[in-house]
Amino acid sequence: MASIFATMPYSPVWIIASKEIKDGLRNRWVSFITLIFMALSLSVTFAGSAVSGALVLPELPVLISSLSTIAVFIIPLTAILISYDSFVGEEESGTLLLLLSYPLTRKQIIAGKLLGHSIMMAFTSLLGFGITALLLLILGKDYPVGITVCVFSQFILSSILLAMTFILIGYVVSLRSTEKARAIGLLLFVWFLFVLIYDLVLLALLVADLSFMTPELINVLIAFNPTDIYRAINLVAVGAEDLQGTLSLIAQSGLGLSVLYGLLIVWIIGLSILALSVFKCKKL
Amino acid sequence: MTRSVVVKVTDVHKSYQDFVALKGVSFELHAGQTMALLGHNGAGKSSLIKMILGLIQPSLGEIQVYGNTLNASQQHVQLDIGYLPENVSFYEKLSGYEVLSYFAALKGVNREKVLQILVEFGLADAQHRLVKTYSKGMRQRLGFAQAILSEPRLILLDEPTVGLDPLASEFMYRKINELKAKGCAVIICTHELSLVEGNVDFALIVGQGKVLAQGSLNELKQASNLKIKIKSAALEQHHQHLNGFQSCYFQGCLHVDYGIKADVIRHITQHLGIYDFSLAEPSLNDIYQYYINQLEGQHG
Repeated sequence: MASIFATMPYSPVWIIASKEIKDGLRNRWVSFITLIFMALSLSVTFAGSAVSGALVLPELPVLISSLSTIAVFIIPLTAILISYDSFVGEEESGTLLLLLSYPLTRKQIIAGKLLGHSIMMAFTSLLGFGITALLLLILGKDYPVGITVCVFSQFILSSILLAMTFILIGYVVSLRSTEKARAIGLLLFVWFLFVLIYDLVLLALLVADLSFMTPELINVLIAFNPTDIYRAINLVAVGAEDLQGTLSLIAQSGLGLSVLYGLLIVWIIGLSILALSVFKCKKL
Repeated sequence: MTRSVVVKVTDVHKSYQDFVALKGVSFELHAGQTMALLGHNGAGKSSLIKMILGLIQPSLGEIQVYGNTLNASQQHVQLDIGYLPENVSFYEKLSGYEVLSYFAALKGVNREKVLQILVEFGLADAQHRLVKTYSKGMRQRLGFAQAILSEPRLILLDEPTVGLDPLASEFMYRKINELKAKGCAVIICTHELSLVEGNVDFALIVGQGKVLAQGSLNELKQASNLKIKIKSAALEQHHQHLNGFQSCYFQGCLHVDYGIKADVIRHITQHLGIYDFSLAEPSLNDIYQYYINQLEGQHG
């Protein structure tokens, strides 16, 4: 990795990304997050077997629905933890001013960090959840290879996009904060708001079956929370509309997969623009 | 020989909402010159450095580096500037070699240069150790090495010797003088006046955003008209013969204005026949204190 820094054909974006990945590996964030993802994924998949004493594997829609329910808590949290000090930490150590004195644009700095952190999250998601897919294919009998690979690829892709959204939220808060402690405090509040409060309120409204809750309004409410878009993607992808429980109501929103992915990408683009404008306005 | 102008600051003002950080600062720095930027905390030094780096823009006036008005779109100019921020601690989970390689790559400097500079700065043996295990002196050397990696023609050093032991400080100034000899223009922002005194061509003293004084050490001594002290046992009997020079004698020293130093010495040697004396000129610290006291006097 060190030699990557010292050879020049790479763009500044890749040089910054490489440094972020190296930092992540040294901090043991990558291995820590991978282990968490793997532990959660395996426990959700094989918990039934532990109870019954025999190998009982859930159906794919049920499994993805359960995995996404847990991942929606963990992925934003890990994304926040790797991004909260990206800028405020560099500012405290004096390297942000130094980086800005280099022939780099603010766009390159944000893009480099986002690329590095996204690669880390992609690697951890791929390994953490990919192992589960692999074990299902080896141990399970009712898991067609094509469908299983497709469903898990979709799950991992949406997990990466969700992580990118929260990494960018982390950047915006990190750029606005003057201390690391404030940044993490505020981000935990944001996480709590998006992942718990908003989600609970939305589910309560769906269950209450209120007259003003038209499908259009539900779609708008889903679009305003990346974690709900993520849930919807994974429920729609496995056809979980028919499942029991309130989550299936999200899947009945009528939004197609491409629209849901589009919405997550709009979140990523919007937050990238916001992070860049906050960076440009940042008082040095 | 005319040296090219590296930095030209013309009537620069900087305001942050109601707070005025700089008022009408002007100076020129030529290739091969070193300048001390002095002032109390909050005097506007950091704002000036950030403006020279192109990180913030002046509210009024102009800053040119190599003849270019610096802004974010002129990255080729930034490539030719080395900067050591104050108290930079770098990335603690990376080794010294990795930190330097990172910054080298961002400026397009090759690996050989990184290894060479690590040796030059005495960090070769510690290059694979994590930066968090480095001493303060080693971190400052690493920071300085980072600043000169791309062999820039302008180097800005913010408190390069703060917290360093005398040997480490001497090393820093030896390097600064080597760079100066190669034609680099160097701006040193510091509070350690005794260290910087013999190592700069001129000083710019700022206080409350204004330039209080600027010039070479001799020019500043002249302008401040601080007293020099002439000490000799023989003067005790003869000091009354120097009354015409507006001098005074107390605590075993003759105190005379810096401006008439040459005349007094000529008189002492030629007319009084005293050759055994010592001369204590005002230090940069004395000059700095003088201007800061004047500023405080103006503001009650």
